[in-house]
Amino acid sequence: MHNDEISESQESSQKHVRKVAFILATGSYQREAPTTVLRLAEKLLERGIEVNVWAFEEAVTLTNRDQIEHNEPPSLREVLGDRHAPIGRFIDQLLRVGLHGTKMDWVTCILCAQERGVERHQIGGAIIGTLGDLWKFVKGADQVIAIPVYR
Amino acid sequence: MKRFLVVESRDLTEYTSGTTLMSLVEGLGKSGDEVVLFLLENGVIAARKGADAGQGLSRLSDRGTRIFAEDVSCRARGIAALADGVRESSLDFLADAIAGGFDNIVWY
Repeated sequence: MHNDEISESQESSQKHVRKVAFILATGSYQREAPTTVLRLAEKLLERGIEVNVWAFEEAVTLTNRDQIEHNEPPSLREVLGDRHAPIGRFIDQLLRVGLHGTKMDWVTCILCAQERGVERHQIGGAIIGTLGDLWKFVKGADQVIAIPVYR
Repeated sequence: MKRFLVVESRDLTEYTSGTTLMSLVEGLGKSGDEVVLFLLENGVIAARKGADAGQGLSRLSDRGTRIFAEDVSCRARGIAALADGVRESSLDFLADAIAGGFDNIVWY
């Protein structure tokens, strides 16, 4: 931590951020981006900042409830443990935080989910939505963070 | 003066657009705006002490850009020493910085 840098940043800021919107298109097992977004979302929630995530393209697979823990290869089990949890478990935990604290909403793009056959396989807390939800997320956010995909 | 946060998550040398991003950061700094460059994921690779790309980061730092490299990303890549002008930081710092507000956040 660099508290001096933090205070320097905050002193010159005119904003008071209460709501952050993430736009995410990266799916399971592609890149680090989803994990990073969730790690950062957790930090923001801890600070009382509401988080909204718009998941589209491959990111709609992150909340596929049918993904299961899979066994690691025997040679790696000593390092990684017996099982590898899907990222949907992490998302589910952050959504549950909102029951008694600052909330995170997760909206899955309906068209992207239908194209990938996961519309009816979303975890309980994920909401199937449209571009209208994205617009409202963006319009209502103090800060919008769009995570690019690698092409 | 405006405030910009540039988050670099890709290896700067993997794509030619990495050069464009550095030009953007430099240009924003020259125009008098405050720029924070935060390296994470593969973005920290350029900050490894001794790397050619790290010299560019050091130059940016000399010109006033504050540059940070995320600790977990560094440890995951075995990066123990950073280029001059790049300071180790954390997602806690990034979250506090975002909470403070920026005019724009560019996540590359």
